[in-house]
Amino acid sequence: MILHGAEAWFFWALALLALVGGLFTVLSRSAVHSAIWLMTTLISTAGLFLVMRAEFVMGVQILVYVGGVMVLFLFVIMLVNVSEERLDRARLFSRQWLLAVVFAGLLAVIFSYVIRLADPYSSLQPARAGAAAEAAPAYNPQGATPVSRNAEEVGWALYTRAALPFEIASVLLLVAIIGSVLLARTPRQERLAEREEDGA
Amino acid sequence: MTLLALGCLLQQEAGRLLDFSPTTTKFLILSSILFIIGVGGVLARRNIIVIFMSIELILNAVNINFIAFARHWQAVGRLGEHTGELFAIFVITVAAAEAAVGLGIVVSLYRNRETVAVDEIDLLKW
Repeated sequence: MILHGAEAWFFWALALLALVGGLFTVLSRSAVHSAIWLMTTLISTAGLFLVMRAEFVMGVQILVYVGGVMVLFLFVIMLVNVSEERLDRARLFSRQWLLAVVFAGLLAVIFSYVIRLADPYSSLQPARAGAAAEAAPAYNPQGATPVSRNAEEVGWALYTRAALPFEIASVLLLVAIIGSVLLARTPRQERLAEREEDGA
Repeated sequence: MTLLALGCLLQQEAGRLLDFSPTTTKFLILSSILFIIGVGGVLARRNIIVIFMSIELILNAVNINFIAFARHWQAVGRLGEHTGELFAIFVITVAAAEAAVGLGIVVSLYRNRETVAVDEIDLLKW
């Protein structure tokens, strides 16, 4: 896949935005700011999905991540008092800098090696470089139809080939709902529930 | 001789780096950088909520990878290829479930211990 023209510009802009957002998610002092930066990353990732013609996943990303998960995060941040961190009284990082740097460096080395191995233009793969270069221009940036059939195709695949994982995912979501309700009860609510059980 | 080979390699590398057309590889590089930022956040941060957000960042990076490979196969010619997108949808589902349960744990933890700093949460029972 090679992107051309406007798609390439969009790729670079969105990739830069995603990287900046990710960096400030980790580095910013206030947890609310972290959440906002993470939203930036998620929205620019959704834009990248659009660039890659995955319109349905882009919609899911916006609806579920930005609209659902991040709102949940903001609610919990506001329930949990983190003003100490914001007011400079508490340490921002745990004392694990060495470990973090070592692991991140190891991951960087592994990833760069694997990506170079997979890259058709890499010097580690001289035999297939020509084939890939020939295959590249066959991609037509104009798209076949004006209206994308991506959602239809993904839905078809989801309900035929991935039907069993789909059902399992629904059970997982049910378990998560019940589990989080049980976990987040206050002690008073727990006592009330126990009393009702005893009464019944 | 070795120097010459090294020079050739460096020239090749520079040529590849200065090639600004976004290929599948560029998407993989973006995703791996985001992944590494997320891992750094998980290991170095102290606030458990920010650690959760770094985990979301990691899952998001993996999603970029899945979609990039789906698009890669479509561009190569397998037009009906949506496996990567299916995987991304399932990753998003599991991430939502994980966030719900994890944040429930955070809320009840804060109610019991009055802290969200991971280096102060070191007891299973108190």
